[in-house]
Amino acid sequence: MSPQDQDNQENSTHFGYQTVDKSEKESKVAGVFHSVAAQYDVMNDLMSFGIHRLWKRFTIDASGVRPGNKVLDLAGGTGDLTAKFSQLVGKDGQVILADINSSMLNVGRDKLRDRGLVQNIEYVQANAQHLPFEDNTFDIITIAFGLRNVTDKDEALRSMFRVLKPGGRLLVLEFSKPEQELVSKAYDFYSFNILPKMGELVAKDGDSYQYLAESIRMHPDQDTLKEMMNNAGFEQTTYKNLTGGVVALHKGYKF
Amino acid sequence: MANNTTLHQQLLCSALEAIINKALALSLNGTQSLYPLEQKNLVVYLAELGFPLSFIVNNSKVLVTSLSENPDCAIHTSVKTLVALKNEQSLTELIKQDKLDIVGDIKIAQQYANMAETLEIDWQSELAKHIGDVPTYKLTQLSKKLADKLGFAVKQIQADSTEWLVHEKRLVVTSSQIAAFNLQVSELEIHTETVNDRFLAIEKALLNRSSKQFAVNSNKDSSE
Repeated sequence: MSPQDQDNQENSTHFGYQTVDKSEKESKVAGVFHSVAAQYDVMNDLMSFGIHRLWKRFTIDASGVRPGNKVLDLAGGTGDLTAKFSQLVGKDGQVILADINSSMLNVGRDKLRDRGLVQNIEYVQANAQHLPFEDNTFDIITIAFGLRNVTDKDEALRSMFRVLKPGGRLLVLEFSKPEQELVSKAYDFYSFNILPKMGELVAKDGDSYQYLAESIRMHPDQDTLKEMMNNAGFEQTTYKNLTGGVVALHKGYKF
Repeated sequence: MANNTTLHQQLLCSALEAIINKALALSLNGTQSLYPLEQKNLVVYLAELGFPLSFIVNNSKVLVTSLSENPDCAIHTSVKTLVALKNEQSLTELIKQDKLDIVGDIKIAQQYANMAETLEIDWQSELAKHIGDVPTYKLTQLSKKLADKLGFAVKQIQADSTEWLVHEKRLVVTSSQIAAFNLQVSELEIHTETVNDRFLAIEKALLNRSSKQFAVNSNKDSSE
């Protein structure tokens, strides 16, 4: 490989099945989420048949959150996890809902305020690769269905590791690789044939949901992500497949 | 991995949470009973479930999860024992019998139980909001009639079964009695057959004897 090719590879990344310049991905992903923000919750319920709520509940249970904890809900979008964490950490705790996308953050903030959840939640527009928090700040960090959209995942994991307190844990809930071939085929058919049409019909944006399906396929599988977390410094990293591996929850500690 | 168990667990927690909060929202007594429980965590380990049910109150809402770390009160028991707990006096007895184990502040458990007991929902008003006053009235009357008839039927069944247990059951032939009777019938049948055989033998002997006598008499007459 010539130095120029190597340089090109280092500066490029995936945007769905396309290979784009790293500097381009952020704005392209931003475009997708600005476009889907208003319909995000409806589409999540439709696409997953409501099961995403159970996956998120499982993440909360796996977090071991306690009253008084400080939680960072990264790429928190419309605030499903933040809402639950806010109630569980109580008035002595704090939850930061962070998202790189202002549209998603606005939808999340409005939704949580409408539900009367205001006392212990803060909203921060932040890039997961460069988290604007001091070292050793959080007891728990979660990133649900967000990591695959991050341009440099390794850098983001290192950044999360930095802001976690010793003893703190990171939970990554993300689409992954189905365990069985049959499930995988059915899932592929659903993702590439039904999902974009559903997006076109409901959110009037088939392209964004085509990107969603492609980005899931390009995301590292369970073991690769586990390795990436270990490389970032996390210890006792484990994962649990949900719904046959369609989704996996990775958990790692900082000691 | 037990994917389905995990999701069923979450589904159960989610359903319980929705039911409890809906019931609290409809309760005539409001959510006052929740105030002393704010941020208090009760964890219940039911033998039938295999995973903990954690209840925590926040802003007059009850959250149900499977989080089990550092609860204010933890109860290890079974559904059957929980039903028996309705009788407060049985608490000590159940603990002695190892059917109930409570760790932590028992007052928290009592306050949660108190919350459940003070739930009072005006179902008629709630129903009227959805289907109107007149249909609600008619439906209520119908359900009262049905309840009365059902109550009467239950009482009747109870009375009949008591009657049967106290009086009729004594008269009913038991299976061992039927077996003994059958045995006696079989023995009687054998005896009857034996007697019959003996009768036949005697009859045959008598016939032989009378035919011999007849032959002797005939010979005597002819010689005379």
